[in-house]
Amino acid sequence: MAGLELLSDQGYRLDGRKATELRKLQARMGVFTQADGSAYLEQGNTKALAVVYGPHEMRGSRSRTLHDRAVINCQYSMATFSTAERKRRPHGDRKSTEMSLHLKQTFEAAVMTQLYPRSQIDIYVKILQSDGGNYSVCVNAATLAVIDAGIPMRDYVCACTVGFVDETPLADLCYAEENGGVSSLALALLPRGGQIALLQMDARLHQDHLETLIEAAMTACKGVSKVLDEVVRQHLQEASVLTGE
Amino acid sequence: MIKTERVLHLKSCVGRKLRVVREHYLRERVPCCSSLCQADCVNDGKLLPGDLTHYVVPDVAVVVDYLEILEFRELQGIIFTQTACQALQSKNRRYYKRLQTLVKDPRHDCVLFANEFQKYSYCPREKGESQEKWQTRCVYSAAVWYYNHLAGMMNIVMITEDPEAVDQFSSLTSGVYVISVQDYLQSFWSDLQAAHELFSSISQAQQETEGDDGEKEFPEHLPAEVLEAGIKSERYIQGTLNVNKHRAQNEAFVRPKNFSTKSTDLTWDVLVYGRKNRNRAVHGDEVVVELLPKNEWRGRDTALTDGDEKTGEDNESTPLPTGRIVGILQRNWRDYVVTFPTRDGIQSQSRNSQRILTIPWDQRIPKIRISTQQAEALQDHRVVVRIDSWESTSFYPNGHSVRVLGRAGELETEVQTILLENCIHILPFSDAQLREMPVNSLEKPWTVDPSEVAERRDLRDSRLVFSIDPRGCEDVDDTLSVRKLPNRRLELGVHIADVTHFVKEGSLTDLEARSRATTYYLADRRYDMLPAILSADLCSLLGGADRYAMSVLWELDAESLEVQEVWYGRTLIRSSYQLHYELAQALLNGEQVEVAELANLGPQEKGSKLAQLTEALEMLTHVARHLRAKRDRGGALELEGVEVGAQLDEERNITALVPRQPLEVHETVAECMIYANHWVARKIQEAFPNQALLRRHPPPQQELFNQLVDTAKAKGFTIDTRSNKALAASLDRAVDPQDPLVNRLFRMMATTAMSQALYFSTGAHPQDQYYHYGLALDRYTHFTSPIRRYADIVVHRLLTAALHMQSGVVSGKAPASNKEVEEMAHHVNSKNRAAQAAQMRSTALFQCLFFRERDPQTDPCCVADAVVYSIRDNGVLVFIPEYGARGPVYLKNKEGLVVVAGQDGSCDWQGGTVRKYPDRITTTSSCGTSTFKLFDHITVRISVHSSTCHADRLNLEVISNKPHHSAKSQQPSPQGRSQLVKEVVRQNEEALAQEKTARRPKLSKEEREFRQSKTPSLYSILEEIRELALMDLERASRLPATTA
Repeated sequence: MAGLELLSDQGYRLDGRKATELRKLQARMGVFTQADGSAYLEQGNTKALAVVYGPHEMRGSRSRTLHDRAVINCQYSMATFSTAERKRRPHGDRKSTEMSLHLKQTFEAAVMTQLYPRSQIDIYVKILQSDGGNYSVCVNAATLAVIDAGIPMRDYVCACTVGFVDETPLADLCYAEENGGVSSLALALLPRGGQIALLQMDARLHQDHLETLIEAAMTACKGVSKVLDEVVRQHLQEASVLTGE
Repeated sequence: MIKTERVLHLKSCVGRKLRVVREHYLRERVPCCSSLCQADCVNDGKLLPGDLTHYVVPDVAVVVDYLEILEFRELQGIIFTQTACQALQSKNRRYYKRLQTLVKDPRHDCVLFANEFQKYSYCPREKGESQEKWQTRCVYSAAVWYYNHLAGMMNIVMITEDPEAVDQFSSLTSGVYVISVQDYLQSFWSDLQAAHELFSSISQAQQETEGDDGEKEFPEHLPAEVLEAGIKSERYIQGTLNVNKHRAQNEAFVRPKNFSTKSTDLTWDVLVYGRKNRNRAVHGDEVVVELLPKNEWRGRDTALTDGDEKTGEDNESTPLPTGRIVGILQRNWRDYVVTFPTRDGIQSQSRNSQRILTIPWDQRIPKIRISTQQAEALQDHRVVVRIDSWESTSFYPNGHSVRVLGRAGELETEVQTILLENCIHILPFSDAQLREMPVNSLEKPWTVDPSEVAERRDLRDSRLVFSIDPRGCEDVDDTLSVRKLPNRRLELGVHIADVTHFVKEGSLTDLEARSRATTYYLADRRYDMLPAILSADLCSLLGGADRYAMSVLWELDAESLEVQEVWYGRTLIRSSYQLHYELAQALLNGEQVEVAELANLGPQEKGSKLAQLTEALEMLTHVARHLRAKRDRGGALELEGVEVGAQLDEERNITALVPRQPLEVHETVAECMIYANHWVARKIQEAFPNQALLRRHPPPQQELFNQLVDTAKAKGFTIDTRSNKALAASLDRAVDPQDPLVNRLFRMMATTAMSQALYFSTGAHPQDQYYHYGLALDRYTHFTSPIRRYADIVVHRLLTAALHMQSGVVSGKAPASNKEVEEMAHHVNSKNRAAQAAQMRSTALFQCLFFRERDPQTDPCCVADAVVYSIRDNGVLVFIPEYGARGPVYLKNKEGLVVVAGQDGSCDWQGGTVRKYPDRITTTSSCGTSTFKLFDHITVRISVHSSTCHADRLNLEVISNKPHHSAKSQQPSPQGRSQLVKEVVRQNEEALAQEKTARRPKLSKEEREFRQSKTPSLYSILEEIRELALMDLERASRLPATTA
């Protein structure tokens, strides 16, 4: 099949962005009062809602209890109306299970779990509208929710997908780009220390390019972290005004 | 940036309608690419000049239909909108690619404006608005934006084919004019006749297609989705259509694209038989075939037909997989040269509709229907046409004419035809390109730049540098030096013209050279890759002049000649002697010769200098012998560029412009060049393991040697083809002392079996495929002729980059990536192929021109000795050493008569039968039997089979089965023939003659004889061919004069 031209000679992508530009990122924290922490995040047309419960006592099987740190429990799901064609099964399929596992690994690396031995932290993320980069949007939303819940983390966890087209790394892929035959890579980063929390790639890529790609992903993640930081500060300001401090 | 959203309605893979929302980001700063810009746009790359009267913004429909007109270089200041590009992309990918190259081409004055990403020129599509209307509105708003952006300093003209748009927009904004294409051409380019003609021809073709209705001649092609699915499920086969040149009406083959298909019967090509099954596909198209049921499969014909040379050996005609074409994935239409039929050929058709069926020059292309009013005027002319469409209702494709080349049969027309058919487009160097060139005139002589002297290693005084080239060579790209070092070492140096110093990457000259890729040598002219100031002067390493060079210096052990150290780098040299081969060989032989450079010196000084030079030459020969022996041990093939010429260009390319006469000094120079190429290849491959441009020569397929092995067996020789070493050895043994031609024919056949050497990027192939079969080297590239090959320029740049990297200097630009290098390699390969094909054709053209004017019955030139080298069903293939021509000889003609030899060897046509054996063919008739064996010498008469529409070709007819003995007595004239192309050539450019000698082996010997003996008569012959070329015009009046 004749593919789309993902990067024009003038350096524009399908949606008018340049190679390194991110999509528009908007977020709000504390959208629900019921939960301990919650956040809503839009990255372009991908929209996600994240909710955090805990830390609380282990529920369900007690045998999973860890005596030196907290257990992180993640669940990822997609709304039935999130894609162009209605989805049959919102969660529990293989893809979602894998995604849940990835989220779990990411946050185990970021949350200071040793502060809460024998307890559990639940992170639920739901994709409301999907337009590419689901994993990274989930991570970003969940970070805000965890912060909203007041759980200490080593740093923000910021994630971003990058793709490789015509020898150029493209930051923050949208759905059309993800499906256009790009070899893409998802990276979750603790930006301050530059530590990588998760790196995932399924496509084929020449190893010479890997370094440039990771470099681009890290830059993009740092860009995301700046926005998130702003959102958090904004939220704190609002909260402090409300509480009258 | 501002985010908006675009709603698209797309189809999902299952075919359901989907509503898709895509983001769309707008920005205020989109580069306008105009030099008039006041707003500090970040413009890099091409700029539209500010001194034009207006800029043109073509509408979507104009770009789609009339892109060819916009391709005229005279039209300046064209702004293509993104809207138009996207529309073109969805309609016609081929044209979209052309548009892309157009925009990238700095010689063409046009830019692309991303109007849909500009905040103020973007207009969202309104509800209920048709797509065409919306696109026109977008283009118009882009035009208005430009007018405002440039603060009204430039008038903008929007051209559209939509009359409503003209009405609606023309008076909306002052300074932005909206007019139709025709008005535009008339008011702005009234004197650009070619554009007007093209316009009317396209618009006529379009009207014709609109009013086309009728019965279906062909089944419709299947939709793309069905084809996709079919290919995936292996119901259909995808491949490229190859039409059989000799049975273009009926036979075509599709070579399956991926051999991974599991069904075993598809390892070979699929036959597509007949017009109906071919279903409107044209030679070269990417098609999809469906196999027919087995009972409809059929075999191919193997009898010799007109001009046939290559059909397979199987005469039993086993049924092949046969199929029919169900769809076409990608049209590969190019420009075709066609001939307008004469008046009686036009017949009734033209009177009512002005449509004319024209006959393409290439037999594989079907006739093309053209509507034109100039049919009368264009009779018998060759015209360039493009195919527009081929509807299922029409028996022939529709096209439009682009350019008139001239009357068929004239030399100029024919040469242009050859160029076009091989996709070689050469325009003279433009003023802008020539302006980039440095000046070297009497008033302002070019001198060496002091800053360059500081950077380069100065070899002017320390080394004795000399060049050995053919006599009278102008473009000297290689020089040599050799000297003894104190520490029991030898220093060998190869110094190559530093073209990259003058041709900067990305400059206009560079781009032009890249698109030409090589210097084209035709029989009577050549097209240089670089402007003459560089190729014949500043880059040429002339004797006694200071020149920049790229050098490779080896330090060799004086005894073992092992390499101790290698140095690469830019140098400054002054060649002391510009020798030619004969002179160098004479010096080596110790003969008393006059060296031009020493003519003015006193006898004593002269003696010492001569001794010094001779010593250097001897040292060089010694080293070269050693290198050669080393390569021979590795299995290098002595395929003798001399002996075989055409396909295997290895020897030829290395020996550069050297006539391969059997002088040892040829080999010496060639060996040094191979050595330099090899070491540079090593260097750049090590520095850039993934993006170096190398040259490989894949080992040949063993099956292809079958003919050679069988033929040799008939003569009692065995040929071992297992490895290049074995092949070389067995070819050396296969010598018939009585007939030197036998060995030459063997080598010729071996060469045709070889695959071609190719350029490639090291990142694109695994390392074990780098091997060069012919030269027996593990890595090889082209470095030594940057004046006439673009690949060498690329290699020079890579080497420079490698040296920079080594010394830690950060060069401004990273070397090209693997992908770019690979693309470049493909481009250069295809151009080289085209150049070779064009060269071959032009040689054939000259042959035909020569024989056309001779009466085959009376002229002694037309009778020649020929050797049988292959046996076919109804005839034999022969090789004529005298003219270097190959061709078929029929032993059975269309009436069923066969050739029978009488007692004295003379042949007659009589009723009878032909029988073919592996090593001979016999004809039997009432008078007796005669046999033609492989390697028999026979006598043939040469005549020209001329046709108006296609290329002329030689017709051979056997007149005796005895060798033609009188050849000696008529030496001057037949050699004159070969000589004469050569002389025409040599007069134009010496270099070309050399190239040809290398290519047409047997001439070299004759040439030598000729040079020595008969120089005066040469000019009379030369004059004669000149007249031949002119004669068509004035044939009637001047014929008596010429023959007299």
